Amino acid sequence: MSTVRLAALTKHFGPTVAVQEFDLDVADGEFVTLLGPSGCGKTTTLRMLAGLIEPTSGRIWFDAEDVTYLPPRARNIGFVFQTPALFPHLSVADNIAFGLSVKGKKKDVVGPRVEEMLALVGLPGYGARLPAQMSGGQQQRVALARVLATDPRVLLFDEPLSALDRNLRDTLKYSILDLQRRTGKTAIYVTHDQSEAFAISDRIVVMNGGKAEQIGTQTDIYLQPRTQFVAEFIGANNGLPGTVTGREGSGDDARTIVAAAGLTLRCRSRAELAVGDDVVVYLRPENLVVLNDGEDGRFENVVEGKIERVIFEGPTAQLRVDVGGRELRADVSGGRRLTLIEGRGKVRLGFDDVTLIRAPRGAAQAPAPAPLS
Amino acid sequence: MPPSAPAAAVPAPGGAASRRLSSRRIADLVSHAYIWLCLLVFVMPFSALLVYSFTGPGGTYAIENFQYVLGSFGENLWWSFRIAGLTLFLDLVIALPAAYAIVRYPFPGKRLLFSAITLPLYVPGAVIGISLVLTYNFTYHLTTSIWGLVLAMTVGSFPLMLTPIVVALKDLPLVFEEAAECLGATRWQTFRRIVFPLIGPGVSAGLMLSFIIVFNEYLVTLFVHPTGITTAPLRVFNLIRTAGLAPTTAALAVTMQLISFAAVLLFFKIFGTRYLRGTYLI
Amino acid sequence: MAGEPLSVPIPGFAPELRRERQSKLTGLALLTPAILLAVLFLYYPLAFIVQMSFSLANSYLSPAGPTFTVANYQAMVSRYLPNVLVTLQLAGLATVVNLIFGFPFAYILVRKVRYRDIVRAFMVFPMFGALYIAFGMRFLLLPGGPATPLLEFLGIQNTSVLYSLPSVVFAMSIFTFPFMVMNVGAALSNVDPMLEEAAACLGARPWQTFRRILVPLTRTGIVAGALMVFGWNLGTFAEPLLLGSINEQKSLAWTLYQRGVVQTDYGLSTAMGVVLLILAFIVTYFSLRYSRGALVD
Repeated sequence: MSTVRLAALTKHFGPTVAVQEFDLDVADGEFVTLLGPSGCGKTTTLRMLAGLIEPTSGRIWFDAEDVTYLPPRARNIGFVFQTPALFPHLSVADNIAFGLSVKGKKKDVVGPRVEEMLALVGLPGYGARLPAQMSGGQQQRVALARVLATDPRVLLFDEPLSALDRNLRDTLKYSILDLQRRTGKTAIYVTHDQSEAFAISDRIVVMNGGKAEQIGTQTDIYLQPRTQFVAEFIGANNGLPGTVTGREGSGDDARTIVAAAGLTLRCRSRAELAVGDDVVVYLRPENLVVLNDGEDGRFENVVEGKIERVIFEGPTAQLRVDVGGRELRADVSGGRRLTLIEGRGKVRLGFDDVTLIRAPRGAAQAPAPAPLS
Repeated sequence: MPPSAPAAAVPAPGGAASRRLSSRRIADLVSHAYIWLCLLVFVMPFSALLVYSFTGPGGTYAIENFQYVLGSFGENLWWSFRIAGLTLFLDLVIALPAAYAIVRYPFPGKRLLFSAITLPLYVPGAVIGISLVLTYNFTYHLTTSIWGLVLAMTVGSFPLMLTPIVVALKDLPLVFEEAAECLGATRWQTFRRIVFPLIGPGVSAGLMLSFIIVFNEYLVTLFVHPTGITTAPLRVFNLIRTAGLAPTTAALAVTMQLISFAAVLLFFKIFGTRYLRGTYLI
Repeated sequence: MAGEPLSVPIPGFAPELRRERQSKLTGLALLTPAILLAVLFLYYPLAFIVQMSFSLANSYLSPAGPTFTVANYQAMVSRYLPNVLVTLQLAGLATVVNLIFGFPFAYILVRKVRYRDIVRAFMVFPMFGALYIAFGMRFLLLPGGPATPLLEFLGIQNTSVLYSLPSVVFAMSIFTFPFMVMNVGAALSNVDPMLEEAAACLGARPWQTFRRILVPLTRTGIVAGALMVFGWNLGTFAEPLLLGSINEQKSLAWTLYQRGVVQTDYGLSTAMGVVLLILAFIVTYFSLRYSRGALVD
């Protein structure tokens, strides 16, 4: 119902910079998630959007209205907190009605609306109950009903599922998505859980240290990470520091040659990289294919290594392979994984898709080894 | 002395075990007996007065003394209730915003400010009394008004109203107020509909504590009261000084204590003892 | 309550300061009634009596205005020194009694007693006021009163008990007993009982455990309780009056009343008040430093 625009939003807490020059454009009805580790500034940004905190500088617009310094009650938003925060002394119905009754709406308007909201979140007839009589999941649904009752123009979610247990989280996140679609409201969602973000967002903003590292769809972020942080934070990744040594070909066949970990790799070309640039090479574990004899020709790049460890996870098996002194993780699925369980000895890995990211100037930092899980 | 005997780990066979165990039991009995002895001592003055209040002339058993309470002491009781009521009202009206400011608003020197307004607790009653009566006389000209007395009571009981409310507010998660604000409520609406109901127990604790203190107050009252207003405890004091001990006076004292005790019990019954944390009643 | 901030920035004020400033001002505004109350009815009067303590007797009433003098304080040090000493003595003794009897009480209460609420209910009685305590005790100790048989049995002269130091101190101790118990109790509840058991297992006798484990660990509570009790007892009024001999009735609070209200020697009585105040403040200052932790961040 509203577009949201953030321009150069910044927040300092004394000497600490929590959010730095944050820009974002959210379309009407879009579901955008701010994803990042704790302390990255996502909650601070959300609270500035709500008006619970004032920014140090920058601007926020809902549609054409500059809301930067408006208090929360003047913004017509819906904020869903980490805990349901239902008012314990009010019934479920009174909780849901709260936003309407503080605006002075009469009972004949409020009553039907409360019923409508209860039906919307799948809790019809629960109006007379007290919050203490409901489970955690039910309470969070009532919290959703409560914010939707006032017909806000923007929905803000602050890790609403993190206090719930696993199964509840899975079902509830789709309920949230469903509600958002049905009501067509613009939603901005904060979480540190990648699978949650990937499941329900239209776009994702990956945040770190107060900055937006990358903004894009799930595929953008996963397949084409733009920064080291994104490459390593999203999913598992193998990282090798290296240097650009050459370029070949043109058009679709253009390739950048990189020397990394004693190997020579052919990567899809990035025009902005020049010979001699320091880069980090990222290889997704699922893209490293274990080759049988004679299969070398399938892939552009083939490396050989020694299996250090095999971790059987059920649907996949993780191979830890020592290639040129570095440990790479390769994920194997399907029947092949069963034959490798006892894996010892050498193995050949083939791969095509290599992500190149320019390394920070001067430092050929070794990226952290791919996490164990 | 802490009466704990060393824990009897493995009972030695035979007599030693029963000896060690029974010495432990004796220690326990002694401990409990000590507690009850002390409790008895606490209640002893009250009980003495209770017994005394029932004695009639010539050593007979008489309830008539309590008629006095409603009769000629009735006016004093009425003043006591009236003063207490006005004082509690003022206390509440001043303490609620003060507590909210202390807990929810940022500004420097909060700690100092809090100490400064709770200072009256630590000033001896006679000093408050003399300072107020002289100030009323020479500067404020409040000697003949009931408000002089009420305000004197207010400043003395204010810390006891403030502290439980501050405790209750601190325990109230901020998220409730944030949720209310995001739903469109103004600060005042949030306070009236969300904060105040949820700190009810703390407010009640403050009311109870202040009531006890103000209702039974005689010292500052002695200095400051306008002629014509004599509260019940002051009446007790005056009577003892002028007429010596009398059963009727005892009846009044007993009544005051019973009313106060009832107030405490009522509070404990409804709210339990949680909300008195930090107020030195618990 | 807080006004809406403008969307147009006020030149010269950084935006984040505006809300913060408003917050601070609103906070201060909410505190104003309380501050006003304290200033008008506590601080100003106290300042007033300090000023008055330097005036001669009731010269405030004279048309020419007050005469400035330090005679009152000189009198405090010379003629009224016994009063100060008696006050300190009474408060000190009551504190000691509270310590001796209060610590075990607190210990048993914290460690052994399950029926705490009943105990709490009983403990409120002293708090209703020293007046009732003194009244009750006086009745008990009257010659021919209920305690007479017991005293005769113990061979103690009745009159020597009634209007004497011990009964005054006893009454004072009852009054402030709950405060001591609370402070010590709070400190004790922070001591893990396992420490005492460990000491016992290592062979310590109860007294040793007490002296070497419990006391050091509860030192803060003990000191806080002692200071609080001492401070409260400095202002003792009814107990010396109803239960004490002439000597005890020299306590400052009562003398203050007599000189000030009865004899209208304002100069002297306010000087006494100031002395009493200073004593109380010294005690309070140290007690707050040891107290159970401030309520305000």
